[in-house]
Amino acid sequence: MRRAFVEALTDLARKDPAVVFLTGDLGFQVFDDFKARFGPRYINVGIAEAELACAGAGLAREGFRPFVYSIASFMTGRAYELLRIAVAYPRLPVVVVGAGGGYCYSTTGVTHHSPDDVGLMSLLPGMTVTVPGDPTEVRALLPQLAALPGPSYIRIGKFGEPSYESPAPVTLGRARLLRRGEKVAILSFGEMASVALEAAKSLEAEGMRPWVHQFHTLKPIDTGALEEISAEAHTLVIVEETSPMGGLHRAVTERLCGSARRPTLIRLGPPDELALGSPRRETLRRRWGFDAEATAQACRRAWKAV
Amino acid sequence: MDVDGLHEKARQIRATCVKMAHHAKEGHLSSALSPVDPLVALFYSWLRLYPKEPRHPERDRFILSKGHGCSALYAIMADLGFFPVELLRDYGREGSPLASHPCAHALPALEASSGSLGIGLGLATGMLYGLRLKGSAARAVVLLGDGECNEGSVWEAAMFAAAQRLEKLLAVVDYNGIQAVGRSDELMGGASLEEKFRAFGWAARTVDGSDIGAFLAALKPFPFEEGKPSAVIVRTRLGVSFMEGDVLWHYRVPSDDDLRRSLEELAARPLGWEA
Repeated sequence: MRRAFVEALTDLARKDPAVVFLTGDLGFQVFDDFKARFGPRYINVGIAEAELACAGAGLAREGFRPFVYSIASFMTGRAYELLRIAVAYPRLPVVVVGAGGGYCYSTTGVTHHSPDDVGLMSLLPGMTVTVPGDPTEVRALLPQLAALPGPSYIRIGKFGEPSYESPAPVTLGRARLLRRGEKVAILSFGEMASVALEAAKSLEAEGMRPWVHQFHTLKPIDTGALEEISAEAHTLVIVEETSPMGGLHRAVTERLCGSARRPTLIRLGPPDELALGSPRRETLRRRWGFDAEATAQACRRAWKAV
Repeated sequence: MDVDGLHEKARQIRATCVKMAHHAKEGHLSSALSPVDPLVALFYSWLRLYPKEPRHPERDRFILSKGHGCSALYAIMADLGFFPVELLRDYGREGSPLASHPCAHALPALEASSGSLGIGLGLATGMLYGLRLKGSAARAVVLLGDGECNEGSVWEAAMFAAAQRLEKLLAVVDYNGIQAVGRSDELMGGASLEEKFRAFGWAARTVDGSDIGAFLAALKPFPFEEGKPSAVIVRTRLGVSFMEGDVLWHYRVPSDDDLRRSLEELAARPLGWEA
C-alpha cells in the first residue's frame, strides 16, 4: 500500500504544483524519488508531529495541498490537538496520512499500535475518514481526497499487501460490493477486506454465499448502501481492526439504531484492551477473533440461525 | 506616525481594552493590555497591511498566537478600518464577530483563529514556507505570550523555522512575567527566552516594551541576521498603574470604579464609545 501511496502522490504532484508532502522524519528511502523530482515540495519537519500539523495547516492557508505523513499512532494521537485547532477548525484541505495503522506494527509494541486513529479523526467535524483495503483503493482514493475542500484522513498499511480483483468502482463515501450473496453480509472495514474475501471463499465451498461489502470510507458513511444491505441480509458481520468505540461497527450502529430495518449486527474486532506481549498481527486477529476463520464461523452460525 | 503619536495611540487602545472588558464583562484584561505597545508599533508603523483588502497576497501575515489577548487586536483592527469601530461594543457578545477568543469564521479578516496556545508559530512557519515557494516577499509576525512558551509545540516550530532558514519570520514574545496562576520565570526555570531562541538557531533580542521607539529600533535591520528567523523578547507592562504585576487581572472584570480610574490615568477615550 505504501508503494501505491508514493506512486499516487507523485502522480498528483506532477499534475498539481500545489501538492506538497510533509513527513515527520519517516519513510526511509520511500520518498527519495519524490524528493529528487519535486525538491522543496518535499519537507521533512523532523520528529515533531505538532509542527507537522501546524506547518501543513499554514501551507494549506497559503493555497497549497499538503499531505502530512507519519506513523498512524503519532500522526493522530500525538498531533490531535494541533489537527483539531490548526486543521479541522479552519476546515483546511490537509490530507492527513497515518502509515501502519491498526495493528500493522503489532510486534513493535503498544506505542506503535493505533486502533484509535480512525476514531480520533472521526471526532473532528468535517473530517473525511478513509481506510483503503488494498493498493488499488489507495491509488483511487488519494486523488479524491486531494480534491476535497476540507480535511481528510487516510490510514495506509505497509508494503506488499495483495490487491483483490473487483469491477466495483472506488468512490469516496461509497461502499464497494465485492461479492454478491444472500442472507448474511460481511461488512469489511479497510484492511479487513482481504480477510472478508478469504472467509467468503471458504464458505462458498460449504455452499454458503455471504455478501461482501467493503467500506473504505468511514466518514461520511454510505447510508444508502447500509439501507440496501439491511434489506438484503438478516445478519451483518462487521469486521474491523479498530477500537470498538471508533470504527465501522460504531458508525453502522449509530446509523441503523433509528432505522425501521434492524438486521442482527455482529462485530468482530479488537476489544477495548491493550495488545500486550508483542503479538504478531495474525496471532492478535486469531486471539481476538477477527481473522478469516472467525469471520467464516460467525457467518456459518448466522446462516444456520435463520 | 511619530513615536509620541504611537504612545498616545497605545493609551487609547488600552483605554478601549478596559472599556471592552468592562462592557462585555470579560476577563483576560491583563493579557490584552501587556502586548499593546508592541502591537501598536507593529500595526501603525511596521506591518504592510491592506485593511480594505484583508486577503491581499502581499500583506504581511500577523497571527495573535496568544488569542486570549484579542481585545487589543480588535481595537487596533477597528481603528485601522478592518471593520467599524462600533463593532467593539459587541465584543464577547453571543454571535458577535469579535469572539472572546479570535475566530476567523466569525471575523474573516483574521489571519487565523487562536485560543489554544502554541499553534501560531507553527502555522506561520507553514505559511512562510508556502510564501517562499510562491516567490512572495511577505513577512510573518507572530505575537506569543511568555507563558505560551511553556508549550512544546512552540519549540518544534522554532526548530523548523531555523532549519528552513525562514528569515522573514518575526516572533514577538510578550514578556509580561505573569501567567494564569504563576509567574513565568518560576515556571520556566528562570532561563532567558532570548537565550532559548538563540540556542534554537534564531537571532534574538530583548527590549523594553514601554519604549516604542526602542522597540522599533530593535527591529532594524530585519531580519536581525541573514538566513535566521528573528525573535524579540519584549519586557511589557500593563500600562495601568494599579493593575501592574498583579495576576488577578488575568481573570478580573473591571468594576465601574476600576474603569473610571483607568480612563483617568490613561487620559484617553475608548474607541467605539466616542458618541
